[in-house]
Amino acid sequence: MASNYRNLTPAQPLDKKTLNKMVWRSLNLQGSFNYERMQAAGWLYCILPGLEKIHTDKEDLKLAMAHNLEFFNTHPFLVTFVMGIVLSMEQQKADINTIRAVRVAAMGPLGGIGDAIFWFTLVPIAAGICSNMAINGSVMGPILFLIIFNAVQFAVRFFLMGWSYKLGSAAIGILTANAKEFTRAASMLGVFIVGALTSNYGGTTVALEIANGESPIVVQSILDGVLPKMIPLALTLMCYFLMKKKGWTPVKCIALLLVIGLVGGAIGLF
Amino acid sequence: MDFNAIQILLVAVWTFIVAIDQFDLLESLYQPIVTGAVIGAILGDLNTGLVVGGTYQLMTIGNMPVGGAQPPNAVIGGVMATVFAVASGLETSAAVGLAVPFALIGQYMVTLLFTVMSPVMAKADKCAENADTKGIDRINYLAMAALGLLFAVVCVAGLLGGSALGTTLNALAEKYAWFMNGLSAAGGMMRYVGFATLLRIMLSNDFWGIYFAGFALATIIGYVDGLSGSALILIAMFGIALALYDFQTRTAMKACGGNNAGGEEDGI
Repeated sequence: MASNYRNLTPAQPLDKKTLNKMVWRSLNLQGSFNYERMQAAGWLYCILPGLEKIHTDKEDLKLAMAHNLEFFNTHPFLVTFVMGIVLSMEQQKADINTIRAVRVAAMGPLGGIGDAIFWFTLVPIAAGICSNMAINGSVMGPILFLIIFNAVQFAVRFFLMGWSYKLGSAAIGILTANAKEFTRAASMLGVFIVGALTSNYGGTTVALEIANGESPIVVQSILDGVLPKMIPLALTLMCYFLMKKKGWTPVKCIALLLVIGLVGGAIGLF
Repeated sequence: MDFNAIQILLVAVWTFIVAIDQFDLLESLYQPIVTGAVIGAILGDLNTGLVVGGTYQLMTIGNMPVGGAQPPNAVIGGVMATVFAVASGLETSAAVGLAVPFALIGQYMVTLLFTVMSPVMAKADKCAENADTKGIDRINYLAMAALGLLFAVVCVAGLLGGSALGTTLNALAEKYAWFMNGLSAAGGMMRYVGFATLLRIMLSNDFWGIYFAGFALATIIGYVDGLSGSALILIAMFGIALALYDFQTRTAMKACGGNNAGGEEDGI
């Protein structure tokens, strides 16, 4: 895949209307959620209006769509932060490798922040108050809950989009002076994050036990003794090897994992 | 249970909406406090809906001890618990308990859909190759509609079949547990393909150490219980330090007469 767009003249900055349209689209980030690339196609759906405005050259639009279909997962309520930065880089026609690296580096940490803000703080507080109203028979319970939750959600979505788009546009001028070094550093951060995700998102364990009188041997704890998260790491490297060296397509890898999963399920491996 | 056709239709429509809402839309309509009230109103007993919704909501946020199993899916849990409470005047916790088998089926539907959507990504790649933006829109909308339909079918079946169907579903779920087990194990593994795809593009030979460093740090932090929420932020701080150091070193090297070393900067 080419690493540069054909038309390298920065596009017109995105107008408020397009940015707002994408904020609304960001609600459906997880529309086509799947186990392989998670929010990838939803992410592309969210930023499409911007990409269409930016890349008037059809070949460039194809390139932009292709690299924005790679694995993506972040917190759904904070996604506009990543959108703003990526769109500002797309608008400046930054190197595709740089955009990818920044996207990967930005999406990871937001997940934890979003959960902390929304699921562990906002929902318990809002739902705690409103549930008691509902139990006492007040219709205001659910209504108030919806108002509080969505007021915060939309404020965060709109604010982050505008803020990060400006931030990205301001930063990019400084960075283009050292574009090559920046791309390298951003890729390092991206690879570091993918390494972290391999462990953090990788939950595959085996349930195998070997009968041994009173205390059966638990295979997973032996594996953990050697290297925790060994299975996620091994499977990721296996897929990498199959695709890079053997030319497998992602679909073929998915099929292989499906077979492993089902056979494993049948013999009680998982 | 005797609900009229309009009520069943309305429950189906609301379930369709909130099934999508659990991942998209407002991501708040599906919460039991809201869904309980709406389903209660549809079935002609708003008050029961409010009480069941409010009580179940407190259970889901952990503010109320839960007796017995929690439904694995709050959407179907909320709809079916309200249905059972209105239909048979059950206490909330008993109604929530009866909703468990339906919620289990709902969760299976989610697993199934997320698995099936993985190979569909190849179709999305085709859309990108042809700059087919409408195609990308369509894939997203169709996936959302599929999720809504699957959930609506489960809840309508529950409305018609009642708790007797729940018992049947439970038996069925137990019988095919190995299949769903295997499927969700496979589902959990598919993200490795996504990681590998990223690595294939981003990983030049001199970054292997960085990849393993990220893996190691995340594994270590993963063993600290209190850090489950902030793990990725802490990891990012290390990553940023690493990347920043590399950036500063290389720009400094360039500034110190790296011109003769690189030869790639032609200047104007």
